[in-house]
Amino acid sequence: MIAGHFGFAAAVKARERQVPLWALMLATVWLDVVFVPLFVAKIETITPVPGTTGGYGTGIIYADYTHSLIGAIVISAIFGALFLPRWGRRSAFVLGAVVFSHWILDLIVHRTDMPLLPRNIGNLPRFGFGLWRIPAASATLELIFVLVGAYLYWRAARAVVLFKGSSMNRRADFAAISVLASGIAVLALDFFST
Amino acid sequence: MAFILGTLLFVLLVGFIDSRLPWPRPKTERQR
Repeated sequence: MIAGHFGFAAAVKARERQVPLWALMLATVWLDVVFVPLFVAKIETITPVPGTTGGYGTGIIYADYTHSLIGAIVISAIFGALFLPRWGRRSAFVLGAVVFSHWILDLIVHRTDMPLLPRNIGNLPRFGFGLWRIPAASATLELIFVLVGAYLYWRAARAVVLFKGSSMNRRADFAAISVLASGIAVLALDFFST
Repeated sequence: MAFILGTLLFVLLVGFIDSRLPWPRPKTERQR
């Protein structure tokens, strides 16, 4: 799930207008960005569900550091703290919370592979509601996030350019269309990946 | 992995387009 996270970022932007969209989008996927070097180092792994090629929603993801509950909280706090000196407490808190939202949204789709503690210390139960078992349902959920996020973003963008002329209106519309198009493109690339 | 890194291009592109709008700027407590 990436497109759904982007949709969430756009929705947050509509409410927290002082936080740049790039920072919100980066925050929503930050756990996955941190996952990349750990994946390359084989510290975190993806195993295809037996009988599948490991495409959309068919991987069991052992991201035991970045996608553990405590790991996600720590990474979120560090990410937010990085923005504290320049953008203040509120924006830093919003960005930290948006990083953590990744864990919550992933919980809906993951296949019972998300641990509570880093390295799954203590072999505690793993979590994940497994919506990826029904790819059409999880893709629909992501699409809803993208559509709602893009709409809320468009409304906020139109409000912020109110009385600033028709060229600014067009710029706001173009920005909202970019949000929508990027969300749909990412969803399509993800869904049709093999 | 390439997919995740590829999506960062969308972050840059959409972020740039968004930055052309007159959003309020984030402020530190001191700037307020």
